[in-house]
Amino acid sequence: MRTKCCSAVRLQAVWALVLIGTFGPWKLARAQANHGAERHVHGIVESSSGAPVGNADVTVSWETTDTRLARVARTRSDRRGRFDLRDLPAQRVVLQVRALGFAPAREVLDLTDADRLLTVHLEPAIARLQEVAVRADTARDMLERVAATSTLNRNALAEQRGQTLGETIKNLPGVSVIQFGPSISKPVVRGLNSQRVLVMNNGLRQEDQQWGTEHAPNIDGFEADVVSVVRGAATVLYGADALGGVVRVDPAPLPDSGSMHGELAMQTFSNSRQGALSLATSGANLWLPMIGNTGYRLRLTTRVAGNSRAPDYYLSNTGFRELNGSVALGVRRPWGRAELTATRFGTELGVLRQAHVGNVEDLQRVMESAPPDSAFAYGIDRPSQQVAHTTVRARTLLTLPRAQELELIYGFQFNHRQEYDNHGPLRFRNEAAFNLKLFSNSLDVRWTHARVRGWRGTVGTSIAAQGNQTLGKAFLIPGYDLSQGALYAQEELAVGRLSVVTGLRGDAISQTTIRFADAGIQSPAGTRRWQNVAGSLGAAYLLRDGLDVSLRMARAWRPPTVNERYAQGVHHGTAQYELGDASLGRERSHGVESAVRARGQGWQFEGAAYQNAIDDFIYLRPTAPVQTIRGAFPGYRYAQTLARLRGAEFSGQWSPVGALELSATGTLVRGTDRLDGGPLFDMPADRARFSARYRQRGTRAGAWFVGAGTTLVRRQDGVPAGAVYSLPTAGYSLLQFDSGTRGFMLFGRAADFSVSVTNALDVRYRDYLSRYRLFVNDSGRDVVLRLTLPL
Amino acid sequence: MMKTFARPLILGSVAVLGLAACGKSTSEPGGESEIISRVTLTLTPPSGGAVITAYIDDPDGNGPQAPTAQVGALALTRGVTYSGAVRFENRLASPVQDITTEVRAEANEHRVFYTVTGTGVTVNTTDVDSQNRPLGLAFSKVLAASATAGSLRVVLCHYGSTSKVATATSCMGDTDVSQQFAFTVN
Repeated sequence: MRTKCCSAVRLQAVWALVLIGTFGPWKLARAQANHGAERHVHGIVESSSGAPVGNADVTVSWETTDTRLARVARTRSDRRGRFDLRDLPAQRVVLQVRALGFAPAREVLDLTDADRLLTVHLEPAIARLQEVAVRADTARDMLERVAATSTLNRNALAEQRGQTLGETIKNLPGVSVIQFGPSISKPVVRGLNSQRVLVMNNGLRQEDQQWGTEHAPNIDGFEADVVSVVRGAATVLYGADALGGVVRVDPAPLPDSGSMHGELAMQTFSNSRQGALSLATSGANLWLPMIGNTGYRLRLTTRVAGNSRAPDYYLSNTGFRELNGSVALGVRRPWGRAELTATRFGTELGVLRQAHVGNVEDLQRVMESAPPDSAFAYGIDRPSQQVAHTTVRARTLLTLPRAQELELIYGFQFNHRQEYDNHGPLRFRNEAAFNLKLFSNSLDVRWTHARVRGWRGTVGTSIAAQGNQTLGKAFLIPGYDLSQGALYAQEELAVGRLSVVTGLRGDAISQTTIRFADAGIQSPAGTRRWQNVAGSLGAAYLLRDGLDVSLRMARAWRPPTVNERYAQGVHHGTAQYELGDASLGRERSHGVESAVRARGQGWQFEGAAYQNAIDDFIYLRPTAPVQTIRGAFPGYRYAQTLARLRGAEFSGQWSPVGALELSATGTLVRGTDRLDGGPLFDMPADRARFSARYRQRGTRAGAWFVGAGTTLVRRQDGVPAGAVYSLPTAGYSLLQFDSGTRGFMLFGRAADFSVSVTNALDVRYRDYLSRYRLFVNDSGRDVVLRLTLPL
Repeated sequence: MMKTFARPLILGSVAVLGLAACGKSTSEPGGESEIISRVTLTLTPPSGGAVITAYIDDPDGNGPQAPTAQVGALALTRGVTYSGAVRFENRLASPVQDITTEVRAEANEHRVFYTVTGTGVTVNTTDVDSQNRPLGLAFSKVLAASATAGSLRVVLCHYGSTSKVATATSCMGDTDVSQQFAFTVN
């Protein structure tokens, strides 16, 4: 039975109309900087106990589209904590205060009508390398103090915006990607991926069938304004899926002042002859009855790519197309803020033709034969995937007295995944082989309380329900219902230079599978429930100005997912016959990590080392070959073992002279099966990246840079025996050049433009985590042009 | 402690599901998957003698259970040239589906390959598709003049994205069926 579902999932038609309506008249006004009036902000900086804080860095910044005008004013507080800033514009500004030994404070001030006198209370904390979070989020900030976290802020993202999420973060320390060509890339954090790495998209857990390694996160790359990666278990705040880490994607905050303005972003990629175009319009001048002035943003993104090219041949059928849209509405009021967003992501992508095989003999033949000469084409043939992801999200943040906050997030997500293959009679060839529909509902409530006897923290509850429909010609996983509820608390105690962060979470999860039986496949109905507690304890100590160390322990767990329990069928591309095991138990991890963060004049360094013991680690264990009428397939059964992951990563930047910036990152992961001492499958190879960049600001060409970098990847020799993918891969090194400018005047507008060349020497290589590496080389040289133009 | 909060939470979750659940969970694949559950070989002697047949069943099609042993012995007479036919069926469906018809209808995308062992035994494909390339649903089997035993592997090859080449001697597309029959010549 197919259930006709919500008309909400057909929202894209509505958005199309809205966008036409918006762009139709094309009267995009630019935000006006109000330089008529000059405002004044003064006040006192105090610690939370009321003592004055001297020598605090006080910054007021504001937005203006006129590049000739100042955007920032800065001063330091005197010995009694006083500060005074004059000549500020009469508009909404952001006040930021930083002082040694305190967490940075940020406040939005509205100077449209009057000057401000205020007292800023600073919370004691350790120093942090990252910039002040663009969005104040107490719970996240606390976690980041003790957990290794990397953030790509707006400036860093500007140079690589619009790529897939995996591509965007793959150069961060501790991060790598599993790739199925250029169209599918999946984040790997400290050696773990898929159902062990949670993607948080604008406050919601992204529910897009992430259990499949060939299921890439369904997120529009142009929406991301800040991307951060928490390495290591963060299950207390984010739930069982965050056992390996969290990738957070946040869009730009909705404007709360100014009239409508637009943005046009364009990209071209030479390798796959890809073009991408994203149009956005936003403003704060929408007047709604009963609500009043409302901020809004609309975005429409499209992208078309053809076959990628390896140095000697094209990768057949690796093109993809995307069409995404989003609408966001939000208000900011004295009581807090509220947002309503609807997004739709739609993609159609090809899967490498050679990777689709009938049985193990076919696989052997394809692996041994040279990749065929394939021509360039934009067309997408079988095998292919069509995925649509629709999200509706309502988010409210209430500001309560004494710096308390109450946040409510409701989300509805509908993921529709269709995978097509070449099997079956002609008259059914247009039916998807796999047709999965996943409906998710979630409600999160978080309360951040005021400091009580030195403790400040967040208490929250999270409930979620999911329903999955398995349609399509072939069986992969059964339909299921999932419901889960959780209670958690994360608290921070700040004692002078020491900051202690601890958290506890209880989860209850119920999984009900729906019976499936046809003449061939039998999958039983059943309900299982899991309850467990996760906890973490971390501490950071500020040794001296710009140098802190941290130590953190985390216990996490996750229940087996439906595919791990009930998978039954051939995994195309590897010809693996995968069998689930319904009796699998929970997986538990005990991790310990330490980190050091140092910062000085013109340099900064961050290093972390960890050990993560995962008991009852769920993985695919090779078993006897499975015989079917189609021949033999290598058999794999989901099983559990004792695993251990160890690793280290570092990142550093150094500016020997002002205009030159050198940076380096490195990642090392070792995964071991503690039962047999052998290596774990799918561990990234050791890698390091070095780059240099020369920058000049304030020239006639804007703030321009030119740089070069190299990525060095060692041979992966830690590979388990007996797997099809056990072939080790050779080491390789890639060279990259980039150059660009920000604030370059084009058609009278301050445009951002950049060009980069990846794999500049057109090196032939196969990455260990490339799932096409049995068949073809990875992509060759790519020249990427990016242009962002305010309208 | 766990138990005390677990129940209300699960109930709460169910309430959320009720709030906006619009898809009823189901595992009911639509359309029709291609299942071949039986491969039958039929060998007819030229003189009009008794027709010899044998088949191999796979009780769960593409499922994890192995195919059964060959049913029916291919006991052949030496020196004779048999005309042969292969038949693919889905006997898990009701009524039984004859997949051979599908293969014939899509002759340009299919080919049956035969790999034979046994001294002096050869198998030749006798039918062609619309572009005069071998199809292999019908074949002739030439037997040696002396007694022997051997095996005959039947591979149904599907050319979805690769092109069918007349001169190919093995499957370069996707394998839909790969089964081996034993025979004796006396």
